[in-house]
Amino acid sequence: MSATTPALTPSFARPASRVAIRRASSYDIDLLSILSETLREFDLPVRGKSVLLKVNFVGHDPLGAINTHPAVVVAAREAFLSLGAATVTIADGPALERDIEAIADSMRLRDFIGPLSPSFVDLNTDDVRPVSLQTRASTLKKLYLPARVLGADLVVSMPKMKTHHWAGVTLSLKNMFGVVPGSCYGWPKNILHWAGISRSILDINSAVRPHFAIVDGIIGMEGNGPTQGTPKPCGLVILGDDPVAVDATCARIMGLAPERIDYLQRAGLLLGHLQAPKILQLGEKVETLTTPYVVLDEFRHLSIRLKGN
Amino acid sequence: MTIDPDAKRDIRPFHDSLLRVLIESQNSDGGWGYHPAGQSATEATAWALCALQSFEGDSAARESLARGKDWLIRNQLADGSWPVFASQTEGCWVTSLAALALNEFTGASDAVMRGFDWVANSWPRTPNFFQRLRERVSRSANVTRQDNSLSGWPWTAKTSSWVEPTAYALILMNRFPRERLSNLAMKRRAVAEAMLCDRMCPGGGWNSGNPMVYGVAGEALVGPTVWALLALQNSADRSEVRESLRWLEEKIPEICGSVSVAIAQMCLEAYGRNTASLDSQLQSVFEMDQFLGNICVVALAALALDRSRRLFPPAARLDAPQ
Repeated sequence: MSATTPALTPSFARPASRVAIRRASSYDIDLLSILSETLREFDLPVRGKSVLLKVNFVGHDPLGAINTHPAVVVAAREAFLSLGAATVTIADGPALERDIEAIADSMRLRDFIGPLSPSFVDLNTDDVRPVSLQTRASTLKKLYLPARVLGADLVVSMPKMKTHHWAGVTLSLKNMFGVVPGSCYGWPKNILHWAGISRSILDINSAVRPHFAIVDGIIGMEGNGPTQGTPKPCGLVILGDDPVAVDATCARIMGLAPERIDYLQRAGLLLGHLQAPKILQLGEKVETLTTPYVVLDEFRHLSIRLKGN
Repeated sequence: MTIDPDAKRDIRPFHDSLLRVLIESQNSDGGWGYHPAGQSATEATAWALCALQSFEGDSAARESLARGKDWLIRNQLADGSWPVFASQTEGCWVTSLAALALNEFTGASDAVMRGFDWVANSWPRTPNFFQRLRERVSRSANVTRQDNSLSGWPWTAKTSSWVEPTAYALILMNRFPRERLSNLAMKRRAVAEAMLCDRMCPGGGWNSGNPMVYGVAGEALVGPTVWALLALQNSADRSEVRESLRWLEEKIPEICGSVSVAIAQMCLEAYGRNTASLDSQLQSVFEMDQFLGNICVVALAALALDRSRRLFPPAARLDAPQ
């Protein structure tokens, strides 16, 4: 039997979303205080709940420019525990590298979180349950998704702020590609490419519905992301209770127009708020922090500078 | 999972301990999950069966093997394929592994041959005329550098060819002497070998299957490289094989993940290289995180430590009459 997901709410019927932008000059500063203080502002119902941090561990990352940095991950884990979460699980299902320990070693993950087991779950090899897709934006009708993700009370998407050579950008919505298990769909999850990347992003996020997003924008990646681009220091962490609004805010910081990003424009119709007036900005203001990202020629049309916005 | 710490002194107790872990992790339905008590999965069951065969003198292992074999036979779909999990109704890449494992037991039984036929007749998806035309004129033309007309095998139905499922299918096909292969299977084997060689990363080794994207060389990974090399074991004189073998040997000091250490050892042994140092490395990695409880990794590590090298014998033994 397929699992069920909450009904979709059109954007016009939603209250305003909240997004907080915090400065964080490096991974060595007190990130726990920054995240704890900000999470308290959101007053999330986490006491006694199971929290799953869906991180973005794409590949080998000795320079800290590809994956969600472990300093941000461990700070988020401690912050949710301090708010009373019963359990906090760190999880991902990398799209290309099956050896999750190799990725973890390349980024010294054990130095931050201790032993990988049981803190970390490889979603590629988790048990699965079929989920009927509500949006049917792509050609997919259902997906087998990890039981740990479907069973979590609160799913937090934790991407790195990067460009992406197929989707334009990869932020909290695209990050959810990693919940699709490699055991069922392979390495890479090629079925999602054939079904249409933008539309698949919409389908996955309508099925899993991340409740919160924390974007590692301390060092992002520009150019030929998500793995072969150039590190981009931005010194920011972006948090919010609406992944669409978080991604739209990140896009604006990156100097990109969110409504020109195909999947984000679609997500803005059903999954959250894209338009700035519907996003309540906490902390720093976007206008003062814009740090234009270099994009591949294929995505130059996304740039705010080129066409005006 | 617990392992006797004294096993460090001699690799055989460690090997035996891994096999005990497999026996204890078997589900009541006879299959193995990716993790102890997880849903029985074809891949985990196939590798567990391959690993346990070196332990068949043990009565518990014999019983475990028989139940595992029954699970595989019971869960074969009507079209001859296997799904990833028993509850699923569509076959995919794990079919090659299931047929490979059963073949080790039963030889070319009916179940094995139906699986083999499914693999031989399973085709990847390729762009149609209009999609190819659109690609040629679109902004994203020339994004990748590879010959997409060379067909291998996909992970799932109606998707493209990728290195790893192609390698698994070739490893299965290589179990059968030429005279047992149909013309179609022979042709597919030759094209798939060409596909693997075409997809090799510049400098040797393989990634999932895109050696060049936007003019940037792809980074080779241990996993796809090992499986491609094992698939091309009968073509050891090809320059791509030599170059990739060199890449893998040079990579050894950097390899740290448990599954990578295990399969690299298995592969290099199959090519006649001395890998004694990897035995202790595998044990050290196990002690850190117990392979994250991943049954496939436990089984592959046990296979890597299996001195009989039955599953992937050195090339000289592959050439022996079958």
